[in-house]
Formats: sequence, structure tokens, C-alpha cells
Amino acid sequence: MTPVPLEDVFLAAAALFVVLAIAMFYRAVVGPTTQDRLLAVNVLGTNTVVILALLAAGLDQSWFLDVALIYALLNFLMSIAISKFTVERGGVL
Amino acid sequence: MIETLRFWAIVVLLGLGVLFTFVSTVGVIRLPDVYSRAHTASQTDTLGAGFALAGVAVAFGWQHAAVYTVLLLFFVFITNPTAAHAISRSAAETGVEPILAAEGEDGNETEGDAETDGESR
Amino acid sequence: MSNDGRQEGDVVAVERLLVPLSDTVTVRQTVGYAVQSGLEAADSLECHLVVAMPYDDDSPESDRYSDDADGLLSRAQNWVEEDAGGADVTIETTTLGADEYLFGPRDYAEIFDAYADEHGIDRVVLDPEYQPGVTAQMLQPLERELDRIGLAYDEAPVDRPARRGRLNGGAEGFDRLFATFLISYGFYLLLGDPTYWFDLVTGAAVAGIVAVSLAQVTFTLPLDRVQSPLRVVRFALYIPYLLWEIVKANIAVSVVILRPSMPIEPTLTRVNSRVRSGLPLTALANSITLTPGTLTVRANNQQLLVHTLIPGARDDLFDGGLERGIRFVFYGRKSAAIASPRERDDAEIVGGDEL
Repeated sequence: MTPVPLEDVFLAAAALFVVLAIAMFYRAVVGPTTQDRLLAVNVLGTNTVVILALLAAGLDQSWFLDVALIYALLNFLMSIAISKFTVERGGVL
Repeated sequence: MIETLRFWAIVVLLGLGVLFTFVSTVGVIRLPDVYSRAHTASQTDTLGAGFALAGVAVAFGWQHAAVYTVLLLFFVFITNPTAAHAISRSAAETGVEPILAAEGEDGNETEGDAETDGESR
Repeated sequence: MSNDGRQEGDVVAVERLLVPLSDTVTVRQTVGYAVQSGLEAADSLECHLVVAMPYDDDSPESDRYSDDADGLLSRAQNWVEEDAGGADVTIETTTLGADEYLFGPRDYAEIFDAYADEHGIDRVVLDPEYQPGVTAQMLQPLERELDRIGLAYDEAPVDRPARRGRLNGGAEGFDRLFATFLISYGFYLLLGDPTYWFDLVTGAAVAGIVAVSLAQVTFTLPLDRVQSPLRVVRFALYIPYLLWEIVKANIAVSVVILRPSMPIEPTLTRVNSRVRSGLPLTALANSITLTPGTLTVRANNQQLLVHTLIPGARDDLFDGGLERGIRFVFYGRKSAAIASPRERDDAEIVGGDEL
């Protein structure tokens, strides 16, 4: 016997992750350097991937995982692209 | 019985995932400079995401979706250190100075230092 | 070719040339140019042919390289004799750097300089494609270092054949194609449904396109029908070890961060790793970054600049557990047993201005 439905556990965990992501947002806003913001956004992206996966389990929508996979890819590309851009400012990428 | 076991396994995994992500968030907010923050950021990427996704994989059981979750985790593991390396390297190349402890001293710079550090940007 | 230019002096002028050799497509032309230009400048020529060994004796590649080096030197010696005709040419052959570990252009420039001082070398003749064992292009940084040291050099004018032409051997090319196809097909089916005919057909088509277009750039290590699958197996064994290290490091870092006083001790360290550039070095740098408490800031020429957060993580780094793991993955169990970076004096704490 489980005290609460499994779905609710996943949704609660997702909610906690959202709260942590909002806290992480502080660093993205405050900075102070571009790289700090970038790092915070990168971690936020990983959090988003995890949240998507938790929602996939909580709402039983396994196609959410496809979205998570693509999100992880874009998150990676974004970090690489922006870090390259900060070094070679003026160059396109 | 098996259901209960699985339930508690998932609860523990998700709890650990939330815990490490929490630590990582605290670290990113508290630590003094971008290099030290990158260390703790990798905690989210490894154990935070790792435990949470493991929980999801256990919940899906022997389904195709579980393979997806493992793949997702593998992907996060491969890409995130590369991204962290790129970020710290870009910090090094744009001249962000690391805050270092002197030999044998403790490096208890507070966040305030970093903040004032960055105003010059 | 005229020898009349420098006839004024009473003393017979000897031109001493240093020619660093590596197994490239242009090495033959470089030797030819060295002999020709040397004989133009003076009556007699002393041609020092050297091979710089990128690995020292306890590196796993060392044996293969020293065999290759001997072969290359004897071939080059024949070429010099051939080109010299009847002219007065002395040939010296040596391998340099067998007793030390050469990391980057600076090290090469320095050993060349030491050799030049010892033998009174006038000029270094460089092969434009010069690549001593490492995958990275070497010429420009090497020339910069030689400028800095003040050793005269000369780049041999050569016709470059199309690059990489020698890489596409028949069997090797097929192996690459096949491996790329297999990996992308497997990935496609993992994402799709392996029992559905539509996915099987489209997957084969997509994997075919990927294999044809990307096979040449996919692999950085030469494929080997025995070694490459073995590496994958060993990598699978490495993952649990890495995970265990990650869990340990995570707990240590978490404890430090959650303590109100936050006793961190950030330091920058430099570690000279004994794994090859390219994929092994990437794997090592990524493993180091993945472990909380250590972060690779820079990685070039096997030199890693690592930022460490807590003393415990630094000690783990200097003990070189991950490095041994990577050596195990890429070179096998025998190579894994090497001294830790601390013991072989390859690890040091550096200041912030190293960045």
C-alpha cells in the first residue's frame, strides 16, 4: 500500500525542482559576470530537463521525454555558443 | 509488496535528487566566484539529475521510456562537463580572476567580494 | 645550384643544419630542400637528422614510436645521400627527448635549441607539416617558440598533396564507414521502435547518409578491429568507477557547502597528464570536470589547468585515480599501473596569473 499516489510524488518533486530553479534564477539575474549568468542558465536548463522528465512520469506522458532530450541538446549548444561568443566578441560565433 | 518497495525506492531517489539539486543551488548562490560555482553546478548535472532521472526510470519500469531516460542521463553526463569547461574557459579568457586561497589559508571570501569584483565589468 | 657564392673565405665553410623529422607526406621534400639549400650556402654540409620522441620510455606508445623513429631516420639518411650526389655531406642521426616527456611546442623548441648549442647548428629546416606524434598542428606555435628562443629556422617550400589522403586506407575506410553506420543505426532504433518496419527502413537510410558524410571525421583514434570494441567494453567498466568517484566527491562538496562557515580552499593546479591528446584527453578532462570539486579550466598538449575547490578533491586529483581509469580504457590494464601525478612530479599548485 502506498500512502499517496505515485503520480503525486512526481508532481511534488517537480514542484520542488521549480522552486530550486527559481532560486537559481537569482544568480542568472545578479551575475556579476556573463559567465556566471551563463552557468546559472545552464544549470537551469538541466533542471528544466529533469522537470520535464518528472512531468513525463507524473502525468504519464512519455513523449515529454522527447522534449527533454531536445531541450538537453539545445541547452548544450546554447552554452557552447554563448561561451564562444563571449571570448570572440565581434566575431559572429 | 513489490509495489510498496518500488514506491519507496522512487521516493528515496527523488528525495536524493532534490537534496543534491538543493545543495547545488545553495552553492551557486553562496560561492564567491564563477570557477567555484562551476564545481557545484556539476552536482546538479551529476547526482541531482542522476537520482531524479533514475527515479523516473524506475517508475516507467521495463518500458521503452526507461531506455529514453537512461539515454537522457547519459547525454546530460556527456554534454554538461563540456559546457562547464567551455564556460570556465571563456571566463579565463575574458580575464575573470579566480579567487584563490593563499597556501594553507582558508579561502573564506564572502559573496560580497565577488559582487564588488564584478561591478567593474 | 651554385657553390660559387661563398668561396671568398680561406676556411672551407661548413653549414650545419638541423632537420626535425616526422612521418608526414612532405618529409621527403623537406630533406631534399635541406640538402639543396645547405649546399648552396656552403661547400660542405653537416646534416643533423633528428626525431623528437613525444613520449618517454614508460608511455604505452613509446615502443612503437621508437621503432618508427629508427625506420624514419634510416630512410632519411638514404634520401640525404641520394640528394647530395658527390658533394661533401656529413650525416648525423639522433632521437631526442627519449628520456623526458615533451608536452608542447615550447618543449620541442627547447630541446632543439639545446641540441643546436651543443653541435653549433646554423639553422633549423622545418617541415611545414611537422607533427611529432601529437594530433595537433605544430608548426606555427613551434615557429613562435623558436623566434622567442632566437634559433634561426627556415620552412621548407614543399608542394602539399591533399591532406588526409593517406588516411583512407581500404580496410580502415570500410571500418570507419561500418562503425559509424552501426552507431547511428543503433541510436536511431533506440529512439524509435525496433520492431516497426518503417523505423527500420528510415533508420537504415539515415544511418547510411550519416556514415557516408561523417565517417571521416567521427573517429580521432585509428580504428582497430580488436582494440576498438575492447575499448568500449573497458569504458563500460570505467563508468561504475566514475560514478562511485562522483558520489564520493558530491558528498564531500555538499558537506563543505552546507556548513555555515563554508571552509572552501580554491586553488589552481596544473597536472601534466600522461594520456594522448584527442579523445583520451577529452575523456579525462570531462571526467575531472564531472567530479565536483575539480574543474578543468584549460587543456592543451596534455597539460591540464584544474581548479580545485577543496583540499580533499585536490588530493584525489593528484593521486590520479581518474587518469589511471582513462589509461585503462584506452590502453589496457597494463598501462593503468603508473605512478600518480604527485609521485612523478607532474602536479603543482599554481597562482591565478597562469590563466
